[in-house]
Amino acid sequence: MDKIFVIGRDAVPERVALGAEESLRATFVFPSGADSSLDLAVDLTGPGAELDLAGIFAGAGEETVDIRLRVRHLAGGCTSNQLFRGIADGRSRVRFDGLVYVAPDAQKTVAHQSCNTLLLNEGARVETDPQLEIYADDVVCSHGAAIGYLSADELFYMRSRGIPEEEARRLQILSFLSPVLSRLPESYYSLIGFQR
Amino acid sequence: MDKTLTDITSKQYKEGFVTDVEQEYVPKGLSEQIIRQISAIKQEPQWLLEFRLDAFRKWQKMTPPTWGHLHLPEIDFQDIIYYAAPKKDSERPKEIDPALQETFDKLGIPISEREVLAGVKSKVAVDAVFDSVSVTTTFRKTLAEKGIIFCSFSEAVRDYPELVHKYLASVVPAGDNFYAALNSAVFSDGSFCYIPKGVKCPMDLSSYFRINASGTGQFERTLIVADEGSQVSYMEGCTAPMRDEHQLHAAVVEIVVEAGADVRYSTVQNWYPGDDQGRGGILNLVTKRGICKGEGSHLSWTQVETGSAITWKYPSTILRGDNSSSEFYSVALTNNYQQADTGTKMVHLGRNTRSRIISKGISAGHSQNSYRGLVRMNSGAAGARNYSQCDSLLIGSLCGAHTFPVIKNDCPGAIVEHEATTSKISEDQLFYLNQRGIPPEEAVGLIVNGYAKEVLQRLPMEFAVEAQKLLSVSLEGSIG
Repeated sequence: MDKIFVIGRDAVPERVALGAEESLRATFVFPSGADSSLDLAVDLTGPGAELDLAGIFAGAGEETVDIRLRVRHLAGGCTSNQLFRGIADGRSRVRFDGLVYVAPDAQKTVAHQSCNTLLLNEGARVETDPQLEIYADDVVCSHGAAIGYLSADELFYMRSRGIPEEEARRLQILSFLSPVLSRLPESYYSLIGFQR
Repeated sequence: MDKTLTDITSKQYKEGFVTDVEQEYVPKGLSEQIIRQISAIKQEPQWLLEFRLDAFRKWQKMTPPTWGHLHLPEIDFQDIIYYAAPKKDSERPKEIDPALQETFDKLGIPISEREVLAGVKSKVAVDAVFDSVSVTTTFRKTLAEKGIIFCSFSEAVRDYPELVHKYLASVVPAGDNFYAALNSAVFSDGSFCYIPKGVKCPMDLSSYFRINASGTGQFERTLIVADEGSQVSYMEGCTAPMRDEHQLHAAVVEIVVEAGADVRYSTVQNWYPGDDQGRGGILNLVTKRGICKGEGSHLSWTQVETGSAITWKYPSTILRGDNSSSEFYSVALTNNYQQADTGTKMVHLGRNTRSRIISKGISAGHSQNSYRGLVRMNSGAAGARNYSQCDSLLIGSLCGAHTFPVIKNDCPGAIVEHEATTSKISEDQLFYLNQRGIPPEEAVGLIVNGYAKEVLQRLPMEFAVEAQKLLSVSLEGSIG
């Protein structure tokens, strides 16, 4: 199943269980301009289950983006991937709380999690709280989290080649978001403040 | 492969002996009365007694933290002896009791200067703490020539009350947390160190903590002050006898780093970890914190944690001065039924502050090993930068490895990055080494040491060798 959910517009499940060989690919869009939250728990209960979650957000004003994920590997041989990219501008608040749990005996688990945020304004706040709880040894798990700003060098490079500042910034943001953006049809871009 | 791992992780704890010396105790339990008694034994000034009592009143209103990923046995605070000291031999008041001398010799701690000067041991000044008192501090004269104060905490209170009064609890307030409050109320001894302006300490300083008496806890307090432009490297080591009961160790370490000063703090923690059934062992509940107060100051923490039944410890740095920097390098190894919840906090307040966190966790047997960290960029921390990396290595299928890194950023000019991985020793790596004639035990030792190398190479020479050995020893019998 491959699905796109727009938070606040589409009904989002709270609990999902994936049995043997089942797979789920979901992309969550947190539209700009309104508070949005996601609280999702996914249990991988049968061997060979595959989970691929992605999310994109762009806080621009006063909104709060609250993401809470619980991915639990209860059976061995499953794969999970979480990929979140977003922007915190204006006076927005972003909170990411993501757990990867690997149960005892859930061997041969592969689990990855990544949440990167661009912090663009002084009034904005970002807090990420990734957690790995692993009780099996034959696993490959990783997570990465970063909060940063646009590189001045990149900006200079583009400007020195005649690209106006605003356009250059847009390109930078676009490339930062592209791993998740590429999973969406272009018609969704405007939800997070991008026009083609 | 499983068998080898079991063999490797089951080595003996060689520091587990008991020294037979006559000791004096205060009665069991904790009350204002006991605190007054400890304070009286140590002939403390009134302000320090007030400080203790104030901390005690705060502590009474607090509850133990429960957020750690630990199964902490319930501690009966009334069932602990809060002060134990070896009796002074009245005939030879100036000399060290031969039994204590022997104890430290056996542990390989150079408490006589002669050996060091003869080049037998490396050049380190040692403050040796036995239960609740400091036995001796070496090289005090050599250090005093440079204006460096290095002595036991009790002596510092007596000889340099203004300095102690000024800095005590300035980094870790009395009511900071449950265990810090307990320590502030009952702390017995520890080390005090002051490096004056612009002085580079000519030798490494070291504190060695030894728990000996049964039924006691150790509550030491270390205070290090590095004045402007000074430099010091400080090391801490610890061991305890093997016992079936848990013993409590609740220490507080405070470090003040003024402008341009550089402090390196290294710990090799080897408290008794309990037996292979999880009986006994030290409960190591420690608060360590430093403040980079001035412009361009630097504080580096390096720790190798192999001991204790339970470790709850987060050496932290507050980066207040602009352009100040801090590092945290850690190897935490747990085996059998050990539990560790350890990590660091980096709080960035000043501009262009930098921090780096490298944490390597190794779990074996039935142990649980967690990294818990906080990186916080306050809104004034423009240009601040943090990079964290924490890796976990699992040996055997019954242990757990966990990571809880929280990052908070309120400053658009700051960058925080965090990466974590979890993996196990692969069959391929083992096979490769075995095939070249390296026996499995050694192979695991090699892989673990290679994995921890990035941290080990940060340790002062002497310590690095010790730590490498310790890692292989602690792992013995863990492959399973």
